[in-house]
This record gives sequence, structure tokens and C-alpha cells, in this order.
Amino acid sequence: MSGPLLLAVESSCDETGIALIEGGRRILANVVASQVALHAGTGGIVPEVAARAHLRWIVPVLDAAWADAGVSWNDVGAVAVTRGPGLAGSLLVGVSFAKTLAWAHDKPLVGVNHLEGHLYAAWLLDPGDAERDEPPFPLVALVVSGGHTFLVEMQDHLTYRLLGQTVDDAAGEAFDKVGRLLGLPYPGGPSIQRAAEGADRHDAIFPRAWLRDSYDFSFSGLKTAARRIVDQARADAGLPADGSQPLAAEVTAELAWGFQEAVVDVLATKTIRAAEACGARSIVLGGGVAANAALRARLAGEAEACGLPLIVPRPGLCTDNGAMIGAAGAWRFAAGDRAGLDLDARPSLPLAER
Amino acid sequence: MDERPGAILAMDTATGEVVIGIASPDGARLGLSRWPAGHRHGEQLLPAIERLLSETGLQRSQLTGIVVGTGPGAFTGLRVGLATAKALAHALGCRIGGVPTGEALLVAAAVDAGLPLERLVLLMPAGPSDRVEVRAGRPARRLAGGSEPDLAPDDVLVAVDLAERAPADAVARGERARAGLGEVLLRLGAERLRQGGDQLSELVPEYVTLPRGVAAATGEVAWSHDPR
Ligand SMILES: [Zn+2]
Repeated sequence: MSGPLLLAVESSCDETGIALIEGGRRILANVVASQVALHAGTGGIVPEVAARAHLRWIVPVLDAAWADAGVSWNDVGAVAVTRGPGLAGSLLVGVSFAKTLAWAHDKPLVGVNHLEGHLYAAWLLDPGDAERDEPPFPLVALVVSGGHTFLVEMQDHLTYRLLGQTVDDAAGEAFDKVGRLLGLPYPGGPSIQRAAEGADRHDAIFPRAWLRDSYDFSFSGLKTAARRIVDQARADAGLPADGSQPLAAEVTAELAWGFQEAVVDVLATKTIRAAEACGARSIVLGGGVAANAALRARLAGEAEACGLPLIVPRPGLCTDNGAMIGAAGAWRFAAGDRAGLDLDARPSLPLAER
Repeated sequence: MDERPGAILAMDTATGEVVIGIASPDGARLGLSRWPAGHRHGEQLLPAIERLLSETGLQRSQLTGIVVGTGPGAFTGLRVGLATAKALAHALGCRIGGVPTGEALLVAAAVDAGLPLERLVLLMPAGPSDRVEVRAGRPARRLAGGSEPDLAPDDVLVAVDLAERAPADAVARGERARAGLGEVLLRLGAERLRQGGDQLSELVPEYVTLPRGVAAATGEVAWSHDPR
């Protein structure tokens, strides 16, 4: 698609992202202020702190995006913003900010679903990248992050059929919780991956919740099992149960590997099964957990075995960012979607709703 | 050359009633609008600003300063207010001035009661059980549920958004103070803008009402220009 330049704003969780995207694909600027360090002390996101940090950083992020892109408001065709799902207070900052910018600069406004943003990250092209074909439809996409875990089929642009989703925790949440159990720093995803890479033995067995033939996911049982296994490992090592003394590094590494393997196994197996059942022509992976090297490697191997291209945006485009909102927003804009000045945040916005 | 005079726009979304106003740069009122906030600030604020501008016959390009109430008060409202005010000031390339809502309410109450500012003690809600105490020249502080402010014999209590949770005469004074909030906001805001206003990036709401146990985090965020 060749098309207008979009200024895109993302603030649904704990990253403040603003991007300038051309034609729904080409990144001119993509600036993100991440609050991960702000929330490390509490081991999770405090919504009030997150919203205030968005207010503090949104103007510097906008200024940095303009400076990176080297374009001006005259070049902008529309403003896109994440309207949901996400934390109500965080979403409100971005929505209020973006629609006021649009109004003050006389630009059309487009509301974007954060989840479709994660899907459209697969369309993005970096500034120096050669043109590349769009992911061919129909496609099956797996989006995994701290907030979401779902499998979806896209027959065409903006057309989503939800195949399955988590019935309890998101995969990223399970990583955070098990990371904490193992005494690893927040966020759990990168910590567990790093620990798992140091494992010498690979025989720790964690349970998988297959939920029969469905494409749904469940991680709460795995989390409970992880607690039991970690407690047992502490008892075996003669350590106090309260976690005040760390497990030996090699034990932590093996347990981290076992947990990660269980998550990756279920995610990859169901994704490949869905792709085959839907006659997909490509597979897309997105969301913060898509940065996990074990998941990427496993899916890449299985997709290749099925002869399907796997499209995984680079890690910086898998975590929350404005560029993916600009990509999804461009297709919505092309389809005629326009939001009014009364656009409001929708914390529980479902994917299918346009 | 543009001969049209400038104007300033003020908004406060911290209490149960949103107020927006437009004034000449010296703070003289040109238009005011206020309505019960409900939970729909996000939908209503910008359309209301557009309406007020057209009622006063002004173009948004004539705005030379943006004034915003910074709380303490309702989280949702403050976020919408600050985000809207920041985007406007950025887009129009004009100054922004933050006015503490508590301070403005105290001034409005003092005008209404004909009393010196120092004698007034303002109470506002902080969640379902706690309250916030605001006095002139002092940082606002949280009063845990059940505890009462330390009042000198001369002190006069003003309560905003605290029906049933403060004495009736204090609530009545609060209602009258809030009716005067727009006017005071414009006046204090005009003064703040004349003094140079606030740093657009750094202006954040007053958060004396953070949930208990949560310190106002001041740590850095991690920057990324998304290097490839
Ligand atoms: Zn996300």
C-alpha cells in the first residue's frame, strides 16, 4: 500500500510510543519511553504510576519522533491512536493527547485496536529495508505478551476470526510470576530466557495444559505446578521455604528451561495446528513474548517444516510501540474509518469490533 | 499582520464538575462553561472546548496560553485534562500554566466568604474513605479515613465533592467555591502565564492521593529511538 503519512500514538500499558509511518509500512520514526524500570520495584505495573509517567513523557516522545522523522505536520495525513484494550488511565492519556493534536492540526483521527496493532507489526519496514511483500492471506497469527495470548485468523485486512485465547493468565504474566518464584528480576520473560540459556541439563518436566482440541490456552495450572516444583527444589537443597536464599544457579537454570519449554511447546504446537487447519499461507508472531528466542526458534523450525513463511517482527516492534498502531491505523484509514472528537478509551475493546 | 487579540483557555477536570473558561490575556473572562463530570471527561472535554471557542467567536489559533488545573483530585479527570492541555499547548506553540486546583478552590472560597486565605481548610476526596487536606502555602496532605483535620478555633472548613463525608456548612461553602473556580482559574492562570508558565514536558498532576503503599515513582524511563 502506498498511502499517507500517519502520526501514531500508543499508551495502552507502560510504554509511551509515538511513530511516524508512511503508507502503513515504512517507519520514519518510532520512539518509545518504557517504564519497565519504574515498575521493577513493585514487580508489576501500578496503573496510577503508569498514567502519570505517560503524562510526563508523552511530549518529549513526540518531539523526539519529529526530530527523527525529519518531516512536519504538513506531511501528515492522519493521526492514529490506540483506543483499547489496555489500562483505562494509560489509554486515556494517549487518546486525549492524540485527538487534541488531530483537532488542533485539522487532521483526521483514527482509533486503533491495540491487538490489531500487534498483528500489523508484521507489515512494518525499517527505514533502510528493501520493499518486501506483505504477509500473504489467509494467515494465522499468535500474539503473546504480558497482557494477551491469542490465536487469530486473518482472511484479509482488518478481518479477524479469533481462534483461541488464554482462559486465565497471559503467557507473559506467567513468565513474570515464575520469574519472581525463581528470584529472577522483573520482567520475567527476558530473565527466564537468560537463565534457561545457562541450563546444562534439560530434564525438568513442567505440565502442559492442552485443553483438548481447542485453540485456547491456560497458564494458571503451570504456574501452580511451578510453585510446587520450586518449593520441592528448595526443600531438596535444604533451603528455607520463604525464598530468602536463592537456589543454586544450575537448578534455577534448569527450572527456567523447563518452564519456558512447557510454554513454548503449547504455543508453537497450537499455532502450527491452527495454520494447517485454516490452510494458512503464512504465520505471524507478535507481542512482547515473541521476543523470546526459544519461541522464535521453535516456531521457525516448525513453520519451515510445513513450508510456511513465519513473519516475526524484530523484538523492538514486538513489544508495545507506536509504529504498529500506525500500520494498523493506515489500513483503517484507507477503509474509511474516522473517529470523532468524542473518541473515548475502551479498556476491554474486543479485537473483532471495528 | 494579525490584529486579532489573543486569549487564554483554562480547564479544570479535578473535581466532580468540569470547568473550562476563556479570558483575555489579563485574565478577564470572555466565556465559561461547566458541567457535571460523570465518568465521561474523555468524551466531553474537547467537544466542549470547541463549542466554547465558537460561542466566544474565537479561533483556536488566537489562543496564546493554556491553563490547566493540576489537582489534587480525580485521577481520570486529571489525566484527560493534562493530556488535552499539553497537546493543545504543543500544537499551538503557546505557553502552558499549571494551577493547583486546591489552591484555586481556596482562593474562590476566600472570595466567597470574605475571609483571609489562611483561615480556610479545604477537604477533597481521595478514594472512597480517605480525604485530602489543602491549606494555603502548604503541600496538600492525605487524611486517612476516619481522621479529622487539626483545626484552630478560627479555621473555616470547605469541603468539595464530600457530600455526607463533611459537615453540611463546609459542603455548602465548597459548592459556592467551586462555582467560582473558573473565574479564579483564569485569573491565577493568566498570572502564571505572565510569569513564564510551566515546562510543557514536566507538568504532571498533583498526586497526593496515590493508593496507599505506592510511592510516587520518580525513576527514569528507558528511552528508545528503536535502534535496529
Ligand atoms: Zn501489547
